[in-house]
Amino acid sequence: MTDRIDIISPVNLAQLDHILEKLRKPATYVAGATDIMVQKSRWEQAGTLIDLRTVQELVSTLEIGPEGILIGAALSFTDIIRYRIIQEKFPILVESCRQIGSVQIQNRATLGGNIANASPAGDTLPVLAVLNAELWIGPRLKDNFTKMSVDEIMTGPGKNCLQPNQYIAYIYLPFPEPTDPFWYFRKVGQRYSMAISKLSLAVLGWKHNNHIREIRICAGSVSPRIKRAVLTEKLLSNQELNSKVIEKAATQLMKEIKPITDIRSTHNYRKSTAGRLLQESLSTWARAGK
Amino acid sequence: MSEKKKPHSISRRKFLKNLGSGVVGTTVAMHGLQKISKAQEAAEPPPHTDRSPMTITVNGKQITTLVQPQTSLADFLRGQLQLTGTKIVCNHGECGACTVLLNGEAVYSCHILALDAANKSVETIEGLLEAEELHPVQEAFLDHDGYQCGFCTPGQIMAAQAILLQNSKPTRAEIMSGMSGNLCRCGAYPKIIESVMAAAEK
Repeated sequence: MTDRIDIISPVNLAQLDHILEKLRKPATYVAGATDIMVQKSRWEQAGTLIDLRTVQELVSTLEIGPEGILIGAALSFTDIIRYRIIQEKFPILVESCRQIGSVQIQNRATLGGNIANASPAGDTLPVLAVLNAELWIGPRLKDNFTKMSVDEIMTGPGKNCLQPNQYIAYIYLPFPEPTDPFWYFRKVGQRYSMAISKLSLAVLGWKHNNHIREIRICAGSVSPRIKRAVLTEKLLSNQELNSKVIEKAATQLMKEIKPITDIRSTHNYRKSTAGRLLQESLSTWARAGK
Repeated sequence: MSEKKKPHSISRRKFLKNLGSGVVGTTVAMHGLQKISKAQEAAEPPPHTDRSPMTITVNGKQITTLVQPQTSLADFLRGQLQLTGTKIVCNHGECGACTVLLNGEAVYSCHILALDAANKSVETIEGLLEAEELHPVQEAFLDHDGYQCGFCTPGQIMAAQAILLQNSKPTRAEIMSGMSGNLCRCGAYPKIIESVMAAAEK
């Protein structure tokens, strides 16, 4: 074990890519470092840390395009909560960021870090999944980033599919259709702050003539990877929201997820609570339509 | 197509942007680059220099010093600068006792490296005092018994100060969510909230 570490602090993307091209030793990427700092043995052994929060493009980019926004991966949750455009267009993302850790954590922790860390309990992951977020992976090859979705990047708890020279550069969020979207995000934890979630649920949907036109559902902390509940989504599409349909959807979601028992919660609790959260969200939506 | 929007508090952002041309920022980066090229020449990793140079502003005073890269900001403040008002309790980024302001925003100082605060401005509980005069937030905590044993108090006060810098008239709910990252083992929460409400009145 090394008793000291090297910190590489590139100032822009070009320098970062250049460093990665030349780097011949294993390195760990850090941004807010809120997770790795509590695992001292892990970062001390890592030896070399590459600080992404010094990379100007990654900490400061917020580009508004005609169909979506591009966010630098090293923006902090506080940044995301404060941007008016994100509050307006992606209230569900702001809500999930608000529920992470505490103000002190939100000031440091980053959206890209939440993704790369690949924890099934990462609070923004179900939200990014229902928002159809597109991850832009560096380094640029012929000026193009590799594009990936949230469920593609995560291969298991704490594991992502990135190569040693790859990092998350930007997160692209397409604007959800503006007409009357319904959104719901709820996190269940030991307490409101500083809790790692036992379970979370994100729902985004649109109705047409009292029927569900499109719905996207993703639960967090219920499987080794973040995946949308496609079967439940399918069951609900084109349905009219009534108590029978809601009940059926909850049962389907409970079948579809594969939660485990760990220090934070049990298989049974997670399963039944996921069903209840879906019931709660859909009932709220049904009432809102009236 | 690109329109850069800024949140209402941009001090840190602005700062980081300026860092690109900042002298020390570049030095740190070049330091990294040099290490890489050395590593390529010799198959063995480059010899470690013990400490890295850093410039940091603490309580309004700019300091240039050497620091071991793995030193946390809390250890740096307490050990190297003898600013022991900042407390270390969990040393894990959970309890809030080590809360300081980094460019005006609350952070857990046990939970970030001192080098992470390079070229930034840190304010600790000591910085609130003006000569012998207590800061209004400190006064409010005294007047309203915002503590029992007092060990979490520096962190509580810095977290309160961070809220008040953003919002001079926070609601009770805003105080509660803004300070939810600070634990008080004595359970003096009602008095802590009262103190922050009183400080906001001042």
